Formats: sequence, C-alpha cells, structure tokens
Amino acid sequence: MRRRFTLPALTVAAVTGSFFVAVSPASAHGYISSPPSRQANCASGAVSGCGDIVYEPQSVEMPKGSKQCNGGGSRFTVLNDNSKSWPAASVGQNVTFSWVLTARHSTATWEYFIGDTLLASFNDGGAQPGATKSHTVNMKGFSGRQTVLARWNISDTVNAFYSCVDLNIGGGGTNPTPTPTATSSPTPRPTATTNPPTPTPTATNPGATTWAAGTAYKAGDRVTYNGRSYQCRQAHTALSGWEPPYVAALWTAL
Amino acid sequence: MDRSVTGAGGPVRRAALALLLILLLAGCGGGAEEAPAHNEADAMFLQMSLAQIAEGQQVAAVAEERAANPELRAVAAELLGQWRTESDTMRSWLLSWQRPIEADPSAGVHAGHGDLHSLRDEDLAALRSARGADFDRTAVALLLGNLHNGVETMRMESADGAYPPAVKLAGEMTATRQGQIQRLLALASAS
Repeated sequence: MRRRFTLPALTVAAVTGSFFVAVSPASAHGYISSPPSRQANCASGAVSGCGDIVYEPQSVEMPKGSKQCNGGGSRFTVLNDNSKSWPAASVGQNVTFSWVLTARHSTATWEYFIGDTLLASFNDGGAQPGATKSHTVNMKGFSGRQTVLARWNISDTVNAFYSCVDLNIGGGGTNPTPTPTATSSPTPRPTATTNPPTPTPTATNPGATTWAAGTAYKAGDRVTYNGRSYQCRQAHTALSGWEPPYVAALWTAL
Repeated sequence: MDRSVTGAGGPVRRAALALLLILLLAGCGGGAEEAPAHNEADAMFLQMSLAQIAEGQQVAAVAEERAANPELRAVAAELLGQWRTESDTMRSWLLSWQRPIEADPSAGVHAGHGDLHSLRDEDLAALRSARGADFDRTAVALLLGNLHNGVETMRMESADGAYPPAVKLAGEMTATRQGQIQRLLALASAS
C-alpha cells in the first residue's frame, strides 16, 4: 500500500522541473485564416513541406517591428520562402482579413503592410479582442500578386504575431510572379511596374515635376512632393500610397 | 553557493535511496503487475485536455445545432462524439491515479501566461447572438482556436508524457484534430 503512493510522489518530484520548462514556451495566440495566411495554408494542407508550423499556425510570435513573414529569427523560416508555391487569393481593392485567436492578449495595434507601405493600422488601445477579429483594409492601388504582412502588436509584451497573406489583387490572375516584398531585405517591388491593370502614362521628362500617382519614373528622376525634393531610386509606376516620404525603397530625400 | 549545493545533496541522496528501495521492492513483488508509471505531464495533459474539451463542447453543441453549412455541422458532431469517448478515458485514468479531474488552480501554470482556457462567457454570447454567415464564421473561429490550444496540450504530452497509453492517445488525438482543423480552415477560407 505504501509503495503505491510513494512511487507517483517520487515520479512527480523527478519530472516537475522539466515539465514546467517544456510548457512555458507553449504560447498560443493567433493568425489570419481568411484570406488564408501562409501558416493557414500550411495547417490546411494546401501547401506541404512546412515543418512544425502545421501544428501551431498561431505561434508566429517575435519581437515587434520585423518585416519578415516569420517575424525574424530562425523559427518557421519556411514562411519567408517566396519560392514556395503559396496560393494567392483573388481579391478586390478592399480586403477583409479574419483572425483565429487562441489567446486574447491586450492589443496595441493591428498593422497591415505591402512592402514598406503601411496600408492600415487599427489602434485597440490595450483592449482585449473579442471572439473574432476582422479588419477591412484598402489595398491603396496595389494590384496583381502581392504579399500583405499583418502584425498584431501586443500591448503588454515586446512581441507581435506575424501573418503573411498572399493575394492577387484585382483578381486578374495575370501576374503570378511572387514578389519579394515580405523578405527581410529592403528590396522594392519590381512587379509594380509590370502589373497589367495599372495605367502607365509615361512621363518622358519628369525632371523636377511634382510627384503624381500613375506616373512611370526611372531611376534618377527628380520630383517634389509637399515642398521637398526626392530622387527616384528604382524604376516604378507611382501609385497612391507610394508617396515619396513613405517609400524609402523608391525615393531618396534630397 | 556551497551551502545550497550541500543542502540539496541530502534530499537528492535520500530520494535516490528511496527510489532504489522501491525498485527492489517492486522486483520482489513481481513488477509486471504494476501499472506503467505516469508523470506530471501525463496528469496535466489529461486535466488540461478535459478543460479544453469542456470548452470546445459548448461551441460545438451550438454549432451542430445552428450552423448553416452542413460541413460545419458534421465537424461539430464528429468532435462531440470523439470528445465524449476521449474524456471518459481521461477521467478514468485520473481517477485510477487518484488525481483531481481539474488542475490545481494554485499550481500557477496558467498564471499570466498559459491562458490555454481561452473561451470566455462573452465569446459564447457572441456566438449565440450571431446569425447566418456571421454565425458560421464565429463558430469556425472559436472551434479553430479551441482545437489549436488542444493540439498544443497534446504535443506537450507527446514530448514529455511517460504513461504509454496517454502518449498514444495524444498522438491519435493530434492526427484527428489536424484533420478537423484542415476542414475548418477550408471553411474559413471559403467564407
């Protein structure tokens, strides 16, 4: 009789230490399920060869401020792999992003980017999200194949949760080339110049003209915007939302 | 530093001796009759899973009844059936180990971090008040959240559990839940 009780007690003492170590990193939180994010496409089986992310698409948690799909660091790097055939959801200019939440952290902001362009930011002021969370975000004229990076910034920790969503904006389906926008490098978006739905009136002599959406700029072109001068760093067709002060990858302030 | 090392040495040595004694006694008594040992991870797996299943059942019961999409009703019904069987097994193991069905709230496992029991009263209220496509979306989101939390608990057991039947159950549950998560994600992306 005594033996029966002693053994579990000892076992408990022996494993308690390792158990708590094992449990504390388990940190459930959230990801975008619609349109499916990269981790949702892994968990749903739409994309294979994803590794451990299939078990916890909600756990892409890293310090705030990264522009990478995995939030930086060495975990879940498969999410940064633009050579993987991520399905792109066909959408219009207004896209509703829905989250699956497994823990309701107090929230600072929800941010949505394409490349360096902030599409939208929603400030929750430290509130806890409800049962569901969704945001409708305008694509600011982006078209064709793009990768939206969403960041859920937690208000009481240094961390954020990252979700990348591959989209085919405008639904044209004519430009399936993956863009490098979600990688770590500050590479600008070369595809924007070739998107068929974008009107591209050619500006033959932009010299020192005022910046205007719809204009095709070459590297070296100079423009003014809000009284400041900028030089084009990379050929592109300007879109609303790509104003020179906001897109350092395309414009250098002079 | 010296003192703490010396201090720890006593109990550790005593525990080692006690363990040796037990192993000897077990050997004399014919150890084959002993149930396989379980550890704290096993107990926590069962306790946390029971709590997570209880939460999931509340969502699935409403979804089974009210979802517009037949696939969502089917997943909910399937979960309810499997959860009944799984939780019966889990309770029977905890009872045989003379462990409580619920985790010790003073253990501090959930304090400040775990939050693995994430369903709140207002979440259920939001589900019950939702209508049409909005109801289905809310149910899918809540079920996915619940299943993901459950899979984390199962994976913890797969990594750290000691009781072979519980480790096996965790592996089977992980595979089953992954299949249901895939079906729910298909519903989420179509909505």
